[in-house]
Amino acid sequence: MRTPRPTRRLLLGAPLLLAAFPAAAQMDTGRAAAFIQATGEELVRVINSPAAPEQRRAQVVAILRRSVDVEGTGRFILGRWWRQATPAEQAEYLRLFEEVLIRNLASRFGEYQGVTFALGRSQLRTEDDALVTTVVQRPGSAAFNLDWRVAEVNGQPRIVDLVAEGASLRLTQRSEYSAVVQRGGNQVAALLAAMRQQIAQLR
Amino acid sequence: MRLPALLLAAILSLSLSACATRPPATDREAVEEFEANNDPIEPFNRAMFAVNGAIDTVALRPAAVAYRAVVPPPLRTGIRNALGNLRAPTILLNDILQAQPERAARTAVRFVINSTLGIGGLVDVAEWQFGIPGHAEDFGQTLAVWGVGEGPYLFIPVFGPSNPRDLVGTAVDAVASPWFWFGQGEVVEALRWARFGLTILDSREAVLDTLDDINRTSLDPYSTLRAGYRQRRASEIGNRNDRTPQSAIGSGFGVGPGDFRPGNPPPR
Repeated sequence: MRTPRPTRRLLLGAPLLLAAFPAAAQMDTGRAAAFIQATGEELVRVINSPAAPEQRRAQVVAILRRSVDVEGTGRFILGRWWRQATPAEQAEYLRLFEEVLIRNLASRFGEYQGVTFALGRSQLRTEDDALVTTVVQRPGSAAFNLDWRVAEVNGQPRIVDLVAEGASLRLTQRSEYSAVVQRGGNQVAALLAAMRQQIAQLR
Repeated sequence: MRLPALLLAAILSLSLSACATRPPATDREAVEEFEANNDPIEPFNRAMFAVNGAIDTVALRPAAVAYRAVVPPPLRTGIRNALGNLRAPTILLNDILQAQPERAARTAVRFVINSTLGIGGLVDVAEWQFGIPGHAEDFGQTLAVWGVGEGPYLFIPVFGPSNPRDLVGTAVDAVASPWFWFGQGEVVEALRWARFGLTILDSREAVLDTLDDINRTSLDPYSTLRAGYRQRRASEIGNRNDRTPQSAIGSGFGVGPGDFRPGNPPPR
């Protein structure tokens, strides 16, 4: 097993690495890796930028809307409760879901100052998405594995999941949200209330 | 009745009444989720999770915060490396039991280099100078590789997320370690306690930010930890990651190889 060292050297060497990826039929791994490289660099730039917090937040929102399949991921996470929700609940859920995503990301900017990342091996996982592996390094803590699941949505590559140290964010969050719905008497409304409260706290 | 007896009675009655109900077979998705959670005694586990939360709030977390505040980063890294080095024989044994000669060789070479040039394991010279990164293994993973099922999810106060297979693994690792057998006398006894105490501090400090994060952002930290544990164990068993988490991170205390690289500053 190769162990890439997450250094700037490797970041510079990334185009070479990209060229070495074999082309695949469905979600092309090379394309997925290039997409993650570009999106990751954009995010790192925003995180490390000296701009005011509101400005950086706006930039992150723009990157997120462009690169993440927010609706598809949100629906996946609500899982079996999606069909039980009323159209109004579904709409509010998706709005809250995006808001939570943005706030959680924005609240981590401080701890991710000086972050760098390097592409690891890239592999095709299923028929319609690719898993792009990266090693993320931030000053003052140990490097960790972060894998990006990239699917093709309307002809464009979009991030549908993040896998940190083997744990999928969307699977973990689906478990979390389902627990909240069930403990709230199998009501999606209970989850929406909890999400609203969370957003108020993260403000 | 004395207090321990009372406690035991409380735990027993809780665990007997604490079975999560399996959804009807007609609700396929609910059954799927029930099986994915693998948590038939969830009410009992949630009670233990609450107990853990109380202990953590008053003792473990403050101790870890103090440890981070008081002990300078280079020393903390050294301690983590030394603890990781002490685990090397255990990791080696499990590498062998999993029929992984290449990983076993790396573990053995690392142990020799770090125990000598690395001043008793304080400095991870093997990775720093020789480019041989460490990895973690434990007998729970070995059992999994041998095809043993994990059993129902368990949450154990202080110890954290686990299951019968990983608990057995922890016990076997403890007994199979050479440090369990070698030496006697007061000094050795004192060293054992020091290692035990430092392992708890180091493990809790390593997950300080992660757990704070989960408690801050999760709407139900219990299920977040449960989902995270099962997935991470699966990935550890499959040796799927480039990087191994250096310290405990959820697989019980002290399974990591330690961590030091230049250009990778010590933990905050």
